[in-house]
Amino acid sequence: MKGRERSLKALDLNEPDRVPITELSIDLTHLEKIYGETTSVKDAFKSDVQSFSDRRIEKLRLDMKVECYRKLGFDLITCSPSPPDDYRSKRNEDGTIIDELGRILIYDARCKTWIPYRSIFNTPEDFERYEFPEAQAPGRTFAIEYVSEKVGEELLVAGVIRDPFASVWEMFTPINFVRWMYYEPRIIDEAMKRLTEFNVKIIELLVDYGAELIISTGDYCEKKGTMVPVRFFKEKVFPNLRKQVNAAHRKGVKFIKHTDGNINPILEELSGIVDGLHSLDPSAGVDIGSVKEKYGDKLVLMGNVSVDTLSRGSREDVVRETKECIRKASPGGGHILSSSNSWYTDAKLENCLTMVEIGKRYGKYPISI
Amino acid sequence: MNDEESLTELCKMIYDLDDIEKIKTKAKELLDRGVEPKRLIDAISHGLEEIGNRYESGEYFLSELIMGGIIGSEIINVLTPYLKSVETPRLGKVVIGTVKGDLHDIGKNLVVSMLRSSGFEVVDLGIDVPAQKFIDAVRKEEPEILAMSCLLTMAMDEMKRVIDELKRHSLRDKVKIIIGGRPTSLEFARRIGADAWGRDAVEAVKVAKTLLGR
Repeated sequence: MKGRERSLKALDLNEPDRVPITELSIDLTHLEKIYGETTSVKDAFKSDVQSFSDRRIEKLRLDMKVECYRKLGFDLITCSPSPPDDYRSKRNEDGTIIDELGRILIYDARCKTWIPYRSIFNTPEDFERYEFPEAQAPGRTFAIEYVSEKVGEELLVAGVIRDPFASVWEMFTPINFVRWMYYEPRIIDEAMKRLTEFNVKIIELLVDYGAELIISTGDYCEKKGTMVPVRFFKEKVFPNLRKQVNAAHRKGVKFIKHTDGNINPILEELSGIVDGLHSLDPSAGVDIGSVKEKYGDKLVLMGNVSVDTLSRGSREDVVRETKECIRKASPGGGHILSSSNSWYTDAKLENCLTMVEIGKRYGKYPISI
Repeated sequence: MNDEESLTELCKMIYDLDDIEKIKTKAKELLDRGVEPKRLIDAISHGLEEIGNRYESGEYFLSELIMGGIIGSEIINVLTPYLKSVETPRLGKVVIGTVKGDLHDIGKNLVVSMLRSSGFEVVDLGIDVPAQKFIDAVRKEEPEILAMSCLLTMAMDEMKRVIDELKRHSLRDKVKIIIGGRPTSLEFARRIGADAWGRDAVEAVKVAKTLLGR
C-alpha cells in the first residue's frame, strides 16, 4: 500500500497493511540532517518564509520537507496555508517580527524557528484597531497546491490550521487573555469568532487544493488539565470548533484536533465533535490504551511516543515505548503512529528514527506484539 | 468589621477571584485606616496560597492561577506608596531568567508574577540569559535567591554552567538557587548543585519561601 491509501484506511477506522506513520512537523534542524547538506538547503535557511513571502525559498523548504517525509517512509504529510503573495511582516529594531495575528515572534537560531514572544495587543483598544488577515488573499494556497502536486497518490496531504483558542491565547499573551477573559470577554469572544470564520475559509481552500484531512494545532490543555475552566470550553471554544469540523465535513474530509496536556477532563465532549485526536500526551498522564478502549470505535488516534522520551530517553526506551504504543492503539485500525507532539530540535534525531524503524517493524497488521 | 475580620475578607476576596477594583478598594480602605502594610501582605499571600492549593487540587485551572497573579500584582501596586514610608516587609529578592540558548518564557513569566504578588522583589533578566549576566546580577542586586528556567533539554547544561561560574566567582554561598522548567527534575537540581526545584509556579513560590525560612 502507498502512504495515502494506508492513511485513508486508518482514518476510516480500518486496518491497513501497517500502521501509518508521520509527524505533525519536523524542525528545520532535523530536516536539514535528514535531507543532507546541500547548497539549496543552506539557501533555504538564509531567510524565513514567516517574515515575508518568498516563494523561491518556500519552495526549497517544501521540497526539503517532501523529500524528508519520503526518505523517512512517512505516509502522511502536513501542510499549512501560505502567507499571501504580497505579505511582508513588520520587522522591529530588536530583530523580532510581527506576524499576521499580531504576535511578536523572536527567532530561535538554535531551533531555526520563530517563536511567540510578545504581542501588539496591550490594551483592548489595540484589538479594536487591528485588521484581521484575509483568508482568501491571493497566494494562500501556494504551499498546498505545490505539495499536493508533488506527492500525488504517494502520501496523504493533511491541511494544518491553528485553533482559534490557541491563536488568541498567543495573540494576546496568556496574561492578557486571562485578564480580558474576566474583564473584557467580548474581545476574547470576538477574536475567537473572527478566527473561526478565517479558519472555515482556510479549510475550504486547503481541501479544494488537495488536503484530504484537516489537523488543527494549538493546545487546550497543560499538564494538570484544561488551561481555562472546562465551562469556558463548553460555552466558548467547542461551538467554534464544531463550525470548523462542520466545514471539513461539508468538504468530505475528517478533522483531527491536536492538543498537548491532560485532555481527560474534556475527552468525552471532544469525542462527540472531532474525528480524531493527536498527541494524547503521555507525559500529562493520557493513556492511549484507555482512550482506545473507550473511544476507539469513533476516534482516530494519532500519537503518542513521548517527546520527553525522544529527547532524553535511550534507544531501548524508545523501542519499548513505541512497541507499547502500537500494542495499545493499533489493533483494529484507526491509529496513526507519531510522537506526542513533533520532532522539535530538542528531540534526539536517532531516537526519532528509532521510533519510525520500530513502527515499520512491529506495526504490520495483524499486530502481534 | 474589625481589622482582623477585614483582612480575612480581603484574603477571601482574593482566593474567590473577586472583582479587582473591589479588592483594590478594600485594600486601600484598610491602609487608610492605618492597618500595617505587612498585615495586608500576609493576607494577600494567604489568598494566593489558597489559589495555589485549589489549582493543585484541580478545583482551579491555569487561567485562575494567572488571574491570582494579576490580582496580586495590582494590589502590590496599591501597597507600594505605603511601603516606602515604612520598613520594607518584602519576603526577599529574587533574580530570575531563562538560561542562554532558550527563548521560552511563559512558565518563567508566571513564576515572576506569582513571586511578585506573594511579596518578593523580583529582578527579571528575561530570556536567553548568559551565565555572565546572572553573575553580574547576583553581584549587583545581592538577591537571596537566583531562579533559572528552561524548556529545552539542550539548555539544561547551561544551568550547571551558571552554578559553576557562581562558584568560580565565590558567589555560590551568597545565594540560594532554584531551578525549574519542563525537562528539569529534583534529581537534576541536586546533581548540578542547585538548592531546590520548583515543579510549577505554585511550588516555586512555596520553595522560595521555605528556602528563606518564611
